[in-house]
Amino acid sequence: MGAVQTLDISPVGRVEGDLDVRVDIQDGVVVNAWTQAELFRGFEVILRDKDPQAGLVVTPRACGICGASHLTCAAWALDTAWQTEVPRNAILARNLGQLTESLQSQPRYFYGLYAIDLTNKKYRGSKYYEEACKRFAPFTGTSYEVGVTVSGKPVEIYALLGGQWPHSSYMVPGGVMCAPTLTDITRAWSILEYYKVTWLESMWLGCSLERYEEITSYDDFMSWLNENPKHANSDLGLYWHMGLDVGLDKYGGGVGRYVSWGYLPHEDRYQKPTIDDRNAAVLMKSGIYDGTKDTHVLMDQKMLRENTTHSWYDEGGNDVHPFDRTTRPIQKNDINFDGKYSWATGVKHVDVGRLEAGPLARQLVAGGHHGESWQHYDPLILDMYKKMGGPSLHLRQIARMHETVKLYRQCERILREFKLSDPWYIKPREQDGRGWGATEAIRGALCHWIDVEGGKIKNYQIIAPTTWNVGPRDAENIRGPIEEALIGAPIADASDPVEVGHVARSFDSCLVCTVHAHDARSGKELARFRVA
Amino acid sequence: MANLLWLQGGACSGNTMSFLNAEEPSACDLVTDFGINVLWHPSLGVELGDNLQKLLRDCVSGAISLDIFVFEGTVVNAPNGTGEWNRFAGRPMKQWVNELAKAAQFVVAIGDCATWGGIPATAPNPSESQGLQFLKRDHGGFLGKSFVSRAGLPVINVPGCPAHPDWITQIVVAVATGRTSDITLDEFQRPRTFFQSFTQTGCTRNMHFAYKVSATEFGQRKGCLFYDLGCRGPMTHSPCNRILWNRVSSKTRAGMPCLGCTEPEFPFFDLAPGTVFKTQTVMGVPKDLPTGVDKKSYIALTGAAKNAAPEWAERDIFVV
Repeated sequence: MGAVQTLDISPVGRVEGDLDVRVDIQDGVVVNAWTQAELFRGFEVILRDKDPQAGLVVTPRACGICGASHLTCAAWALDTAWQTEVPRNAILARNLGQLTESLQSQPRYFYGLYAIDLTNKKYRGSKYYEEACKRFAPFTGTSYEVGVTVSGKPVEIYALLGGQWPHSSYMVPGGVMCAPTLTDITRAWSILEYYKVTWLESMWLGCSLERYEEITSYDDFMSWLNENPKHANSDLGLYWHMGLDVGLDKYGGGVGRYVSWGYLPHEDRYQKPTIDDRNAAVLMKSGIYDGTKDTHVLMDQKMLRENTTHSWYDEGGNDVHPFDRTTRPIQKNDINFDGKYSWATGVKHVDVGRLEAGPLARQLVAGGHHGESWQHYDPLILDMYKKMGGPSLHLRQIARMHETVKLYRQCERILREFKLSDPWYIKPREQDGRGWGATEAIRGALCHWIDVEGGKIKNYQIIAPTTWNVGPRDAENIRGPIEEALIGAPIADASDPVEVGHVARSFDSCLVCTVHAHDARSGKELARFRVA
Repeated sequence: MANLLWLQGGACSGNTMSFLNAEEPSACDLVTDFGINVLWHPSLGVELGDNLQKLLRDCVSGAISLDIFVFEGTVVNAPNGTGEWNRFAGRPMKQWVNELAKAAQFVVAIGDCATWGGIPATAPNPSESQGLQFLKRDHGGFLGKSFVSRAGLPVINVPGCPAHPDWITQIVVAVATGRTSDITLDEFQRPRTFFQSFTQTGCTRNMHFAYKVSATEFGQRKGCLFYDLGCRGPMTHSPCNRILWNRVSSKTRAGMPCLGCTEPEFPFFDLAPGTVFKTQTVMGVPKDLPTGVDKKSYIALTGAAKNAAPEWAERDIFVV
């Protein structure tokens, strides 16, 4: 056994926000890991005692990348607290906002944040390297430039509904602020079409959406890949081949248990929203997939717990439900890897434990037969998971990008379903109460809890996908999902640990990171590294 | 060729996301067509860890000439002025900001957080946040009243939550194409070319404003959002209805009241109970009147407007 070398990476970069990662490396493999969220702004503290609707203004601004997702949660949380009625058109308009933000993120994340790593000199030996550099090089790559530019298109649809993206507040309890006209809808169709023609079909898939939709199993996918050079030469085809060629399917797995809140409330099934009825009202079903047992069950917000043992809060070491959190940051946030080392918290299911959130989780949940018969079902990624020997950072990427076509189809459906002359808003009666709103941001499960008392906010709590994934250890010292996913990552060159960046970025965390290397025994810093 | 460095403090990345929506020029065009060399950006940068820290130190020392330093997000001072609640590249971000601002030819604050503190500085301001040269309306901020960058300008404030991509890219192109002398700033150091006009300038609801026809609740197909729904369009400086958002619309066009996010007080009234999406009034008269209009004139104006309002003005106008 070789000596353990400790690597501190601060910042990792191309993850949104401030993330530092420490890894212990032994014989060229990561044997231990710690993820540190390094920024505290105190949104929950700011929201205390404010107007009940303050969350509609403040929370989209918690994350400029998931603003529509935060707004969705904030609105539904108030709807359940105020017991509103939400008209059909408004449910569709909220879903369309959520969907277009996600469509925006697909090429922006893939090219802007993730694929750049494939141009790392480490991969010079791959036969796909030259092509990857040509397509994925920052700013000048042929696909990078198209992908990053086209990413601004879907949110033009968001702006037709909400006036702008990011940071609109057009979703309000009782519905939406807008009342779109015919030309808003026809323009939205044209924008979708442009996105499809310019990038999704021509560049990403190399085939029609219809052909891609025929793929429902690993074998189908392989047949598709080999059927036509256009498929193999598409960006999806290139990524698939290169990912396997450089071994991205060999590490980055993680906790092996997954969570999704489900999303897209059905327009006819959630007009009188309550917390308890949500699971049976969403098109994309909620769930937990336990990969160790191959079982699916529904997810319930009542079962969620947070632990701050290793987080910079003074709230004791017990697991608590977010309604019972008090958000008391400690003043001196010194880093102590045996003690407190992050602003994120350890989030878990009371029975199942630590869970990974995100696109892989959504697709593994989509492969389950739990939930309602009319809810979305898609076996592809679960089949790949089983055929490819479980999770990896490669499969996480494939799962993420697989969703694009489905998101696109949902947008089309909504544009057909709007009944333009019907109501968009029903004015609610403001009242005290507790509410909960959830959705799936593109990077994973997001939800808000609100407690309104005496006409103002008594408590507001947010669990973001990054809270699930970047969370530190909990009271039992169980590692968080990214910490766990880093275990086993091979580090070919400790002075350029691109593999750590790959794993962190495969979760599309909303955080930023650097790499410092320490000798594990002496604690002395050996070197600092560039990961990208 | 101009070197640009972009960092984020207490930020949500919203200005970055907005920037990436740009066209003519797009983010890529800035690099390929206008010779902007992006030294590093948190979402786009290739450098990591030690290489980034070296790059930052070289910018501070002058080994790399730093032409444009863009800062997004607040300067976090908590706890107790140390800045430890926002660490970046091995130390409190505020230390980097202090050194880089002094080394840069131009310092640009992007978005409300970097200009005046924005949402994080909302009471009780748990992160002890400041803007670069303002905290809300108070001149000074983190860098101090007397700060000027090497080119002799104070911080160029491009406010908004977020800032519109054009407000960012056009200023960068102006700097890159030698039009720096045409950039004139107002009392809050905002480029006047964008921030002299009002959000209301060009709003599609101006006729309803003129005839005092109100949108009394959301989802209506007519009416001005100022009278009941708290719209701040008549007293907010921005070109939101001249330079449309995402090329297609604006909040007021879509039916969302302007929140006044290009002004230092945003979020107004610190989001106190009863203030969100509701016009604050005293005896039926708005507390905040259109800029430059006094209460007596307002009552006279709206009285006459109401009398003059044609019959069509009360009917739906933005119809299917």
